[in-house]
Amino acid sequence: MTKPVELPQGTLEMLILKAVSLGQLHGYGILLRIQQISGERLEILQGSFYTAIYRLERRGWIKGEWGESENNRRARFYSLTAAGTRQLKAETAKWIDMAAVVAGILNKKTDER
Amino acid sequence: MSLLAAMRKLWHSIAPRTPSDVEQEFRSTLDAYQADLIRLGLPEEQARRKARIDLGQPAAQPERYRAAIGLGFFDESGGDIRYGLRALCRNRGFAAVAMFSLALGIGATTAMFSLIYAVLLHPFPYAGADRITNPIMIDDQHPDGFWYFELSKPQLDEMCLAAPVDSVLGFNNAHLEISNDGLPQDISGIYLTENAETFFGVRPLFGRMIEPLDAGHPVVVLNYRFWQRRFGSDPRVIGRTLEMDHAAYAIIGVMPRSFAFNDIAGIGDVYLPASLLQAVANGPAPSFLPWIKLRPHVTVAAANAALEPIVREIRKQHSGVSAWHLALQPIILPYQQNLGRTLALLLGGVALLLIIGCANCSILLLARGRTRQHELAIRTAIGASRWRIVRQLLVEALVISCTGTVLGVAASYWLARLPLLLSPNSFPAESFIRINASVLAFSVALALFSGILFGLAPALRLSRNDPARALPGRQAGVVAVPGRHRWSVLIAAQVALTLLLMATAGTAIRGFLRLTQMPLGYDPANVMQLGIELHVHNPAEWSRLQSREARAAYIEQIRQKIASVPRVSTVAVGIDATLPDADIQSSFIVDGGGAGEQPQARVMLVDQRYFAALRIPLLQGRVWNADENSRGDFVAVVNHAFSTRYLSPSQAMGRQLRIPGLTGHARYQVVSAQSTGWRQIVGVVGDARNDGVDQPIVPAIYIPYTAALQSWAQFLVRTQGDPLTCLHSIRGAIVSIASDQQISDSVSAFNGTFTLSEAIERGA
Repeated sequence: MTKPVELPQGTLEMLILKAVSLGQLHGYGILLRIQQISGERLEILQGSFYTAIYRLERRGWIKGEWGESENNRRARFYSLTAAGTRQLKAETAKWIDMAAVVAGILNKKTDER
Repeated sequence: MSLLAAMRKLWHSIAPRTPSDVEQEFRSTLDAYQADLIRLGLPEEQARRKARIDLGQPAAQPERYRAAIGLGFFDESGGDIRYGLRALCRNRGFAAVAMFSLALGIGATTAMFSLIYAVLLHPFPYAGADRITNPIMIDDQHPDGFWYFELSKPQLDEMCLAAPVDSVLGFNNAHLEISNDGLPQDISGIYLTENAETFFGVRPLFGRMIEPLDAGHPVVVLNYRFWQRRFGSDPRVIGRTLEMDHAAYAIIGVMPRSFAFNDIAGIGDVYLPASLLQAVANGPAPSFLPWIKLRPHVTVAAANAALEPIVREIRKQHSGVSAWHLALQPIILPYQQNLGRTLALLLGGVALLLIIGCANCSILLLARGRTRQHELAIRTAIGASRWRIVRQLLVEALVISCTGTVLGVAASYWLARLPLLLSPNSFPAESFIRINASVLAFSVALALFSGILFGLAPALRLSRNDPARALPGRQAGVVAVPGRHRWSVLIAAQVALTLLLMATAGTAIRGFLRLTQMPLGYDPANVMQLGIELHVHNPAEWSRLQSREARAAYIEQIRQKIASVPRVSTVAVGIDATLPDADIQSSFIVDGGGAGEQPQARVMLVDQRYFAALRIPLLQGRVWNADENSRGDFVAVVNHAFSTRYLSPSQAMGRQLRIPGLTGHARYQVVSAQSTGWRQIVGVVGDARNDGVDQPIVPAIYIPYTAALQSWAQFLVRTQGDPLTCLHSIRGAIVSIASDQQISDSVSAFNGTFTLSEAIERGA
C-alpha cells in the first residue's frame, strides 16, 4: 500500500461527481470506487463523505433513487444530473488548469535552485 | 387540511428527505461495509463495531443530513430551547419569579398599547377615518369658544363640490319615542344623508346601511347596543317594523358593535334617512351638521383655506359673532387632546414596570449563573465557542420572556378593559379593545426586546469565564469579585425605578383622593336629573307649545306632577344647568362696567327651587319668587365667585346686569320680553362646582329659566332614598297628564336621565 494522500478542501465532492459519472452507484459503491480509482491511496474521512453526498444532492448535481443492489439489498443509487455533468466538466477544467499552473510554478523553483 | 398540506409541501422543499429515509440509506451502507469486513475474516461482532467506528452511528445521521443542507441552526436552537425549558423546570422557584415579574411588565405594557391603539391610533371603524373632519367655527376673540354650524341639503351639496372635499355627510339628531309599547320610551334617532353607506364604508352586521335609494322611505338601521337591548340580539330582525312616533319603519340593517356614531349629536339608537327629518312646524327647512371627508393627501390647513370662503358665503345671512375662522378638526382630535397626555403618562409608567421586571430577571439570571459556572466551563472546555454559549444563554432568557409574554398577553386582555370600565365616557364610544395583529406583533417584539435586554448582560458576563479557573480543583480562590460592580448597578437601578414608580403612583392617588374629597358646594346625594324633549316634529303638538307661556306652563305642569309622586321631596327645573359641569360661558354687562370690557360668566337657567333641591346655601338677599319666575325678567342671583370677581362683595345687592346674548336666535328657542334687559341682583348664593369637579369654580349668574325656553328641559328631583327607584312611578305620573311625553333614557346624553352622583363619577 502506497502512502495515503489527504484530500484538500472541496475536492471530495468533485471525486464523488466523477465516480457517479461513470455509472449509477450507491453510497458504499461510491466509496469503493474512489478508493479503487485512486489506487487505495485516498483516506476519506467517513463523516465528511455522506455530508458531501447530501450537499451534492441538495444542489441538484446528483439524484438519488432507491433500488436493489447486486446482492439483493435495498440501497439508494445516485446518478449524475445534467447540472451535475456541467459542474463536473467545469470543475475538472478548473482543477487541471490550477494544477498545471501550480505545478509549473513549483517546478520552475526547483529548476532555479 | 389544505393549510396542513401547504405546510408539508413547504417543509418538503426545505428538507426533501425524511430522517428515516436518511437513516435507512446509511444503514444499507453500514451493512455492506460490515459484510465486506466479515468477508475479510473479521468476526461478526468485531466487524459490526469497526463499521460503526469507521462510518458513525445511524441515529446521528439525520442530524448530519440537516447540518449538510443548512438546517443545523434549527437543530441547535431547538436543542437550546429544550435545554432551556428543562433548566427552567428544574428551577421552578426561579422560573416562577422571573416569569411573574416579566408577565406583569409585559401584560401592563401590552394592555396600554392595545388601549392606545384602540383609542388613539385606530378608534373609528369608518373608511378613511383619518381624513374625516368636523368643521367648527372658532371665535377670533375667544379662541376657546367654538361652535358647530348646520347646513341645509343644497349647502351640503355645494360643499361637496369643493376641490379638497371627497364627500360630505350631513346628520342631525331627534328624539323619537317608541309609541306602541306601554309607557312611551325615548330613543335617540340620527338622520343621515343618504350617502351614509359609502361615506362610512362600514359593513353592517346584518342587512345594509342607508343608501341613496332609501330617500323618502320609512326605513331604519339599528345601533348594536339598541338592537341588543330592544331585540335581544335577534338576528332575524331585518324586515320587521319598529313603531316610532306612531309611524311604522322597516328595519333594514343592524350596525356592528364598533359603530357608535357619534360624539357630537349623541350615539344614535337608530339611524334614519335624512329626507325623513321633517321641518319644524312653521320653521325653516331642516338642516344638518356636516362631517367632511377630505381627499387623500390634502392637508387640513389647505382645506381650511379652501373651504372658509364657501362657509362665509353660506353663513352670510346669519347674524352673531362676525370675527371667526373655520377649522376642520380631525374627529380624533378632541380625544387626543384630552387623553393623549394621560395615556402617554400611563404608557411611561408601565414601561418603567417592564424595565424593573427586566432588571429583576437580569439579577436572577446572574445569581443563577453563579451555580452554572461549572457547567459552562465544561462546555467551553469541550469546544463550545463563546458565541455558542451566549446564544444558549440568550435562548434561555427568551424562553423566560416568551412564557412571560404569553401570561402577560392573557392578562392584558382584561387589563386593557379596566380604564374603559372605570371611565367609560372619556373614550370614543367606538373604541373596542381587542387583541389584534398589531397588538400581538407589538407584544412579540416586546418579548424579544425584553428577553435580549435582560439576557444579554448575564450572557456576556457568564460566557467570559475562564474554564481553567472555574473548574474544580482551583475553585478555592475568590470567584465573585468581577461581577459585583455590575450587580450593584443593576440593583441600584431597580430600586431607583421602583421608587420613581411608587412616587408617581402616590402622587396620582393623592390627586385622585383630593378630587373625591373636594367640597362640591352642593349635595348630589339622592338627586337625579330627568330630561324631557318636546316633540318639535309633531306639528299639532308643537304649534300648541310654541308660545313661551304655553311651554312654561307645560313644564310647570309636569313639574308639579312629578312633585306629587310619593317620596319625592323637591323638584326643580333647569335648562342644561345640571352640576358639576353646567352650560357654557356667556358675556354680560354690569352697570358701571368698562365699555370695552367683555366679562364672562356661566348663565344658569333655573327655577327658584333649584337652590333648595341642590342645597346650595343663600348667602345674601333672597331668591326670586314664583311670579318673578314665570315673568323671567328683571331679576338675577349670582354666586359668590361672581360677586368677589366682578362686584365688591358688600355692595353686590341691588346692582344691575344684563346678558346681551339672550336673544333667542337659536332654533326652537323662545325668550321673554325683556330677556336682554337690565336685571337686578336680588341674592348671592354659595359657590358650587360648575366647570367640572377638578376645575376652579367660575362666576355664575342664575336667572329664571322662563327667560329663554328651549325645546327641552331637565327636572332635578330630590327624593328620600335612591331616586332611581322612583323612576317608574314618575313616568306613570307624567304619562297621566301628557300621554306622549317620554323622558330621555340615555344615561350618557346631556339631556338624559341619571343621578347626580353618577354625573360626578363621570366628570372625575
